Parts: sequence; C-alpha cells; structure tokens
Amino acid sequence: MSVAELEARAVELEAPSGLWRDAWRRLRGNPGAIVGFVLVGLFVLVALLAPVLAPYDPREQLGLSNAFDGPSTSHLLGLDGLARDELSRILYGARFSLLVGIVSVAVGLSIGLLLGAVAGYLGGFVDSLIMRAMDVMLSIPGFLMAIGIVALLGPGLFEIMVAVGVTQIPIFARLLRGSVLAQRENDFVLAARSVGVPRRTILAAHILPNAISPVIVQGTLALATAIIDVAGLGFLGLGPQDPSTPEWGTMLADVNRYFQTGPHLAIAPGVAIVLSVLGFNLIGDGLREALDPKLRGR
Amino acid sequence: MLRFVVRRLLLLVPILIGLSILVFLWIRALPGGPAQALLGERSTPEAVAQIEHQYGLDKPIPVQYWRFVKKSAQFDFGDSTTTRRPVIEELGQRFPATVELAAAAMLFSVLLGIPLGFIAAKRYGTAIDHASLVASLLGVSVPIFFLAILLKYFFAVELGLLPTVGRLSVLIDVEHPTNFYVLDAILSANIEALWDTLKHLVLPAIALGSIPLAIIARITRAAVLDIQNEDYVRTARAKGLAPGIVDRRHVLRNAMLPVTTIIGLQVGLLLSGAVLTEKVFAWPGMGSWLVDAIQDRNFPVLQGGILFLALVFVLVNLLVDLSYAVLNPRIRLS
Repeated sequence: MSVAELEARAVELEAPSGLWRDAWRRLRGNPGAIVGFVLVGLFVLVALLAPVLAPYDPREQLGLSNAFDGPSTSHLLGLDGLARDELSRILYGARFSLLVGIVSVAVGLSIGLLLGAVAGYLGGFVDSLIMRAMDVMLSIPGFLMAIGIVALLGPGLFEIMVAVGVTQIPIFARLLRGSVLAQRENDFVLAARSVGVPRRTILAAHILPNAISPVIVQGTLALATAIIDVAGLGFLGLGPQDPSTPEWGTMLADVNRYFQTGPHLAIAPGVAIVLSVLGFNLIGDGLREALDPKLRGR
Repeated sequence: MLRFVVRRLLLLVPILIGLSILVFLWIRALPGGPAQALLGERSTPEAVAQIEHQYGLDKPIPVQYWRFVKKSAQFDFGDSTTTRRPVIEELGQRFPATVELAAAAMLFSVLLGIPLGFIAAKRYGTAIDHASLVASLLGVSVPIFFLAILLKYFFAVELGLLPTVGRLSVLIDVEHPTNFYVLDAILSANIEALWDTLKHLVLPAIALGSIPLAIIARITRAAVLDIQNEDYVRTARAKGLAPGIVDRRHVLRNAMLPVTTIIGLQVGLLLSGAVLTEKVFAWPGMGSWLVDAIQDRNFPVLQGGILFLALVFVLVNLLVDLSYAVLNPRIRLS
C-alpha cells in the first residue's frame, strides 16, 4: 500500500460523527450525567404518577390530634401540622416543581431567544435598543426582580412562574446574540447569502441550529435555578395562595414557624428540592462538557 | 485605561435612565397605593386624596417622574410612608447590615473556596478531587433558605451554641455611629459586644456564603488545572524552582484572574440577594426592608432602595471589569 492509500484509510476511519451523536456518546460516558438523568427521570415519573403512588389525598386532614406525628409504617414521612400525609404532599409537590421549571424556562427561553436572535442577526439600531434594555434588566438582581414582578401580578403559582421566567429573558437573549454573532461571519452563511437565500431562512436554517448548543446547556441549568427561585418565592409566602397546595417552598415556609415541634417536616421538602435541582445541574454540566467543541473527538 | 473608565461610566447613563423609568413605572403599576395600604379598611376617598396630595401622587405622571429624578440625583428619596423617617436615613441603617453580612459571607467562601479548589486540582482525579466536585455541585443545588433553616435548627436551637436571630443581643448596650456593628464594637472597645456581634454573624454568613463557596472552589480548581500545564510552569519547574514557589508565584497568581471576576460578580449578588437569609435569621438588612416595603406599598422606600441597590450592583460589576484589566496586562481595554 502506498502512503497515500494508508492516509486515505486513516481519514476514512475518522468518519464525520456529527456534533449530536458525538455529544451523546460522551454524555453516556459521564457518570455524573447518568446520575443526573436517573434523578430527573425519577422526578418526572413521580410527577406523572403522583395520583397512583401517593397513599393519601395530599389535601386531606387525617384527624388534627395526629398532627406532627413522626414517621410510621402507615405514614412513611409522618404527618404535617394540619395532619396531612407528608409523603403524599411531597409526591404531589413534584408536579408543581416540574411544571414551574418547565413553564418559567419556556417563558424566559422563548422571549429571550427571539430577542437575542433578532438583535444578533439584524445588528445596528435594533441590536443596541434590545441589548440596552437587557442591560437594564440585568442591573436589577434576578431574585429581587422576581419579587417585584410578583408584587405587580399578585401572588400565585402561575404568577411566580412568569416572574422567574422574565428574570431569565436577558440571560438567554445575551447568550444567543453572542452565539449568532459568531456564526454570522461563517463561510456557509456567506455562501447561503450569495446564492440568494432569504434572511429569515438563513437565520432559521443555518445560524440557529449551529448557535443553539450553549442555549441547551443554559436551559438545563436554568431549570435548576427556576425550581430554586420558585421555592424561594413560595418560602416568602408569594406562592400559591391556597394553603393546601403542596408546593415544596411553601411547605418549608410553614416549617420555619414550627421547627421545634416537627423538624422532620423540614427535611422532606428540602431534600426533594435538592435532589431535583441536583439532577438538572448534573445533566447541564454533562451537556456542557459533551458539547464543548474543544473537547470534541476525544 | 482612563478612556475605558470614562466610556464605561458613560454607558451607565442610559442604564440608569432606563432603570429609573422602569422602577418608577413599576411602582405606579402596583395594585393599590400607599394611601390604601396605610389606611387599610378605614380608607375614605377624602383621606386617600389627602395622603396622595401629601406625597405628590396627585400630580401628572411626567411631573412626578421629573421630581423623582431630580430628587434621586441628590439622594433625597423622600420619607418612608410607614415610619415617616427619611428613606436615606433608613438606608443608612439597612445597607451597613447587608454589607456586613455580605462581607462575612464572602470572607467565609473565599478563605475556604480557594484552598479547596487548589487542593482538588493538585490531587486531580483522586477521591479528594471527586469529593470536592460533588460537594460544590451540592452547594449550588441546596436552596439557601433550606440550608439556613437547618443551620439555625442544629446550631442555634438544638445545640444552643449560637443566637437564632438578629445582629446583637438586646441586653448589650453599645453606640452605633457607623451601623457596622463589628466596627462599632471595635471603635467603642467593647469586647463583649464584638464577641456577640460575631456570634450573630456566623450562621447567616455560612448560609449566604455556601453558593459562592461552591462556585469559587470550582473555578479555582478549573483555573489551576489549566495553568499547571502552561509552558512557563514547566519551565519554572525544569529550572529547579521549589514546588511551593512555583505554586505560589506562577500557578496561583495566574489562576486568581478568573477567580477575581467570579468573586466580584458574587459580591454584587450577595449585596442584593440576601432576602431569604435575612428572612430566616430576621437580619435587619436591605432584603427584608424591601420585601416589607412591597407589602406596604411603601413607594419612597421601594424607589430609593431598588435604585440604590441597582446602582451598587452596576458599580461593583464595573469595578470587576477594571480589576480584571489591572490584574491581566494582556487585556487591552479599548
């Protein structure tokens, strides 16, 4: 075999594997990400199957004289201050946390992406206008802004989801704008433009798919932040106004008042929040490593 | 350098204008006004009108805005509608409390985070390294108020080692010329007050410092790992420099660049984001002040407080950018 043939074979062996397949392969090899997927999978399962899994109705009071009972065989996590089964409340709480995470990130992501893509692609005056507005939003610390928005909308589950979502808009807008700017100068964009592809199609078909990977990483991490922030707002009493709603942050807020009577009631919702947040953080970290172009092919 | 500073300061102007409009409109859009909040169920149209006149709320919106801007520029934010004291005076008590807490939290996270990250990088791939990674991930995944509740319960309620709430025991009588209680105790040479203030600071500072601690440890580890493989580090080792000196002069000094940036960004967040910690430990800082103000529709406090915090936040971020340039001569500011 000639040298040229040998080199040709070597090149063949390194067949193009594609960003996503490559990323998936490395994600599977990352033990942290696997743990993350397991945690998030469990979390989603519990949320979906809560009515099947929960032994009691999360809102039903099982005799006030039993309030604050510790864990027992009939109530694995004990009863809360109003004699409701703590385990059932935790299981149902997963539904709210999952919903909250998804809705608020969807709000932040969709608006943020739209603004970022438009600013990055159009440039000029539109870009300056949008990005200065984002600067103003970023100059107010996120959690404080969320509190402010809830004050405006009134307390409630839907309201805190919107509030947390809005605080994430500038983060996504900045991220995508930077990414689009970097992609805009690429040769394949120039090529598409020179054969007369419309601007909208270039943005949608050529730029966005290539600029999206940092957004996916940020989106996963944002789910974690959203769950923590919503729990925090619930803790401040800005969450669902119906006190029987089993929202984890609100459950912790009650505990702060009667910790000495029922300390076990603080552990359960707290641990539930930590595990779900940890799951999303692990996946986000794994994705970041898997999608990092500097690490590709290793 | 000077041109960069001037340019960045000029960029602050549109941000501040946008911010003042946003805060002003936000407050006007809040349901219910200070008059209703003050009067509660006893409110009559006449009483509401009188209070609105007293605070200038019956003037046209543009006139109100102009008055607000003119006065804010002179740091005159009006009087609180609940305590009737000037907002700037309350700010003078609340802000030092928050700064003190943020400083203690930062001290805790920097003093622990940098060595932890450094050791993890030095023992790369070992159990210590893995443990530090897991710990730092847990650190950012634990809600701050959950950690605060746990700390309060175990160390204050169960073990009784530390106080549960506040900044100082009511039994201790000491002057507060600066409202930085640690500083006040030192100035008045009151050992008992100093000890008591420090004890009050421990738990809130640990709770608030947990997230920056995790982030600082992580960034330090990553930076040290990066720099250890640089050519100049290998050269330094090859010429026989003692490992300790290489670590200190070449590795750590350069690894501090990204760490400084992160520390600065975290300081900005700590100054504003202590709402939850302040709530659990009944710390009389900015966070609890503003949350109460929202509940009471206390317009002057909200306007002044939020504007002031945002200004501090933006200035801290500017300082971070500048310090980055000073620390890293390779960055040309233009």
